[in-house]
Amino acid sequence: MQTTKTTKKPIFYGWYVCAAAVFIGFVAVGARNSFGVFVLPMSDEFGWSRFQVSIAAGLGIVVNGFSQPFMGQIFDRTGGRKLILISLVVLGGATALMALTFHILFLVFMFGVVASLAQSGPSLTNNAALMARWFQRRRATAISIVAAALSLGGMVMVPFTMYLLQATNWRTAWVALGAIVLLALPLAYFFFHESPAKKGLYPDGDSEAAYNSKGARRQIPGPLAVEKWKECFRSAPFWQMSGSYFVCGATTFVLTFHFIAFAQEDRGVSGSTAALIFGYMMGLNILGALGSGILADKIGGTKNWLALVYLIRGLAYILLLTIDSVAGLWIFASVAGFSWIATLPLTSSLTADVYGLKALGTISGITFMFHQIGGFGSVLLAGLLFDITGSYTVPFAIVGALLFPAALSAFSIKERKYSSRYQALAPTAAAGD
Amino acid sequence: MAWLFSFLLAHQGDAADPELLHWIKERLDQIFGSGPWVVVAVMGLIILSIPVFVVVVYFMQANRRSAAVPLDQDGQEQERVP
Repeated sequence: MQTTKTTKKPIFYGWYVCAAAVFIGFVAVGARNSFGVFVLPMSDEFGWSRFQVSIAAGLGIVVNGFSQPFMGQIFDRTGGRKLILISLVVLGGATALMALTFHILFLVFMFGVVASLAQSGPSLTNNAALMARWFQRRRATAISIVAAALSLGGMVMVPFTMYLLQATNWRTAWVALGAIVLLALPLAYFFFHESPAKKGLYPDGDSEAAYNSKGARRQIPGPLAVEKWKECFRSAPFWQMSGSYFVCGATTFVLTFHFIAFAQEDRGVSGSTAALIFGYMMGLNILGALGSGILADKIGGTKNWLALVYLIRGLAYILLLTIDSVAGLWIFASVAGFSWIATLPLTSSLTADVYGLKALGTISGITFMFHQIGGFGSVLLAGLLFDITGSYTVPFAIVGALLFPAALSAFSIKERKYSSRYQALAPTAAAGD
Repeated sequence: MAWLFSFLLAHQGDAADPELLHWIKERLDQIFGSGPWVVVAVMGLIILSIPVFVVVVYFMQANRRSAAVPLDQDGQEQERVP
């Protein structure tokens, strides 16, 4: 007769991998978002113009955005552990080395090239690909937790850096930030393992018996599962997800930059109130990200949740443009906040379910690049149209209107036909599509 | 083109919108007083506590796991199968 001293089920190792990814995302994004805090003190000391500092920041966006697919490919080929460890060392080192800045070109190189390239290693797309290996039933949940940590990183690390700067000086603050990034290294080294198989485990912490019974249907790859990333270009779901992701970037970036100006100029609220509303919206996005992942896993139909998120954001845009008062801004923030980064875990988990895990890092990197291009394009468009019309109404209406075809695009993904989650279901179940 | 370069900074900072930062700082000043070191210490501890918490939970679980190794009829530890 078999006995055990305790019957409580231990925490699945995958959750430790998730926790490590959370901390890595938290410090990496936090350190990057803190760049804005250094602009004034560094410009003051060296007499740089805003344009000069913008070169470092702008180059950083381009390098980070366009290096994601390449880093994704390295992730797919090597398993990811070494890539993330090396990237963290480089990111932490480059962040600390910015304390030695003596010339604008040094900052441009160190932040715009080295740190931005290194940050593509432990990026959300790669971390999501890692989570997809460790989790199947709770895939969207695990990815949503990591996504929420990115928001939290910005919210905690940026004020922390502000006070650090006030207490010390910008050189010390850069070193401290670099040290905090390096703090994630032992956690990554200890907990980051490339797949459950390497630890003798099964996804979601299932036992061998459970995995081979109830989990058996998810072992069957979907009909679009790819060996090489290029193959995804030939199928509709990639373009449906990338297209809607493009709109996601367009509708979030444009508000990140223009919302406070819009609230002040078009709605006549004070800067502090506008900031409060924006901060409230950013806080809600953590709940939105977590909620979307959990609901997608519990109830299923990831593409439906994704479509709903785009639809909600579209409605929020309508509210923003039609309710001409401060109350309208609050209502908008309440509705839009939940949809802000909720698309991220849903798109990442759906990509994994449809295209499999072999080229997931690369494919996720490419779809995310569409997101960044949409974001950059929308800000350019909004700036140009504001200069022409003197208002944000037209650019906001244009990008907001795109959310409805994006919702349709997500909704029309044949998830039950292509997703590995539904492969063992009876053919009649696919009638829902 | 000034707005474009402003965007580059604003996006790079993301949450670091100057108005938002100013508002956050005012609120934190109200909570912690004006001493920056107090905020640095409190927030630093919060940041540090994340990896410490993860490691502590892991080792607590590892101890519990080793204590919960199945025993056979003779009270001997069974070989664990992953």
